[in-house]
Amino acid sequence: MSAPPGRQRSLGASLLDQVLAETLDPAYAQAAAARAARAADLRPDPDPDRGAAPGRPPWLRRHRGQLLVALTLLIAGLLASITYSEAAAGAEGREQARQALREDIRTESDNADELVVQLEELTAEVTSTRQRALEASSVGQRALDELAAAEQGAATVAVSGPGLRVTMDNAPPEADSDPVGGSAEVAEPGIVQDNDLRRLVNGLWAAGAEAISLNGQRIGATTTIRQAGGAILVDLRPVAAPYVLSAVGDPQGLQNAFLTTPEARDLGQLTPDYGVVFEVGRADDLELPAATAAELRHAAPLAATAPARGSGTTPGAVPDTPDPTSDGD
Amino acid sequence: MIPILGLAVGVVLGLLLDPSVPLWLQPYLPIAVVAALDAVFGGIRARFDGIFDAKVFVVSFVSNVVVAALIVFLGDQLGVGAQLSTAVVVVLGIRIFGNAAAIRRHLFRA
Repeated sequence: MSAPPGRQRSLGASLLDQVLAETLDPAYAQAAAARAARAADLRPDPDPDRGAAPGRPPWLRRHRGQLLVALTLLIAGLLASITYSEAAAGAEGREQARQALREDIRTESDNADELVVQLEELTAEVTSTRQRALEASSVGQRALDELAAAEQGAATVAVSGPGLRVTMDNAPPEADSDPVGGSAEVAEPGIVQDNDLRRLVNGLWAAGAEAISLNGQRIGATTTIRQAGGAILVDLRPVAAPYVLSAVGDPQGLQNAFLTTPEARDLGQLTPDYGVVFEVGRADDLELPAATAAELRHAAPLAATAPARGSGTTPGAVPDTPDPTSDGD
Repeated sequence: MIPILGLAVGVVLGLLLDPSVPLWLQPYLPIAVVAALDAVFGGIRARFDGIFDAKVFVVSFVSNVVVAALIVFLGDQLGVGAQLSTAVVVVLGIRIFGNAAAIRRHLFRA
C-alpha cells in the first residue's frame, strides 16, 4: 500500500487513481531515501535512522524533532477544539433562536386567544346594548326582527338542531403501503379537493339545509372554501381531513333531497373510483357555531326607512348597528 | 509520548480558553481541521512504516491546513466555495481512510 520510495507522479495516471493509490505523502519516502543515502555516503553512523547532522549531538536533534511535532500537534488539537466549540456555539445559537421563536408563537397565540375572548365579550355587549336601545320603540322592534332574520341568513348566530352529518375523507392508504417507511402517502386522486367540499356544500344548500358547518366552522353566505398548497382553507382558516359537514334541517327531507342532487351523485361516485370516504348520516343534535360577521360597510338611520313614531326614542338617531364608521350617524 | 501530550494539551487549551475566532476565519476552520487530520494520520502511518520525518510532518501539516483553507477561500471568492469544500473533503477523506487502513494493518496485522 505504501508508495515506493522516490516514486514520481505519473502524468498519465488519472487523478482519481493518484488520490486512491497515494495516501501517504511521498515526501516521507523521499526524506527516508535521502537519509539512507546520506548515511551510506558518509560514515557508518551508530544510529543511521536519525541522520544526525555533524556537530550536533543526536539527542538534541531527536528532541528538536519531537518538540516540533509536539508543537504541531498542539496546534492541531487547538484547531480541532476551537472548531468544535465554534460548531457547538452555532448549534446552541440556532437552538436559542428557535426557542425564542417558539416563545413568540406561544405568546402571540395566547394574545390572539385573549383577543378572541375580548371580541366575543364586546360583541355580546354590543348586541345587548342594541337590544336595549331598540326594544323601547316599535320601529326599533321591527328593526330588531329584521336584524334577527338577517343574522340568521348571514349565519352570524349559533344554531342547533337535528339534521344531516356528511363525512368526507381522503382515501385510506393502500394496504401494501409501508407505514414504517414513513410514506403512508395517499395517492393524489384519493385526496379530497376543495371543489369536492364546495360541491358538497352547494348540494346541501340546494337540498334545503338551513345552516351548515364544516369541521366546526360555520359556512355563511360569503364563506370561501379554497385550497392553498395542500391545505383546504375555510375563510382563510385551515381545516384538515376528515371533513365533517353538519347541516341543520329536517333530517328525513334533507337526506332525501340531498341524495338526489347531482352533487351527491358525483361525490358518491368518488368512493368506487378513488376510494374517497363519503358518508351521509342523520344526526339528532347538531351544534353549529356562529360565523364571523362580515365587516359593516353600509348603514342607514332607522328614520330613513321608517319615520319614528315618538314614544321616547331619539328620533332618527338610532343606527341599526353602533358602528362608528357607519355613514348613517 | 511528547507529541501525544502536545495534542492533549492543545485540545484542553482550546476547550478551556475558548478563544473567539474572527468571523471571516470561521468558514475555513472545519476544512483546516480535516486537513490537519490528514497530516496527522499521514504522520502516524509514516511512523509505522518507519520513515517518519519531523520536518516533513511539520511542513505537510502547515501546508495542508493553509492550502485547504486557501482553496476554500478562493472558491468562496469565485462562488464555488461549497463545491470546492466538498472536493477538499472528499480528497482528504480518501487519504485519511487509506492511511487509517494502513495503520490498522500495522497494528493488527490484518
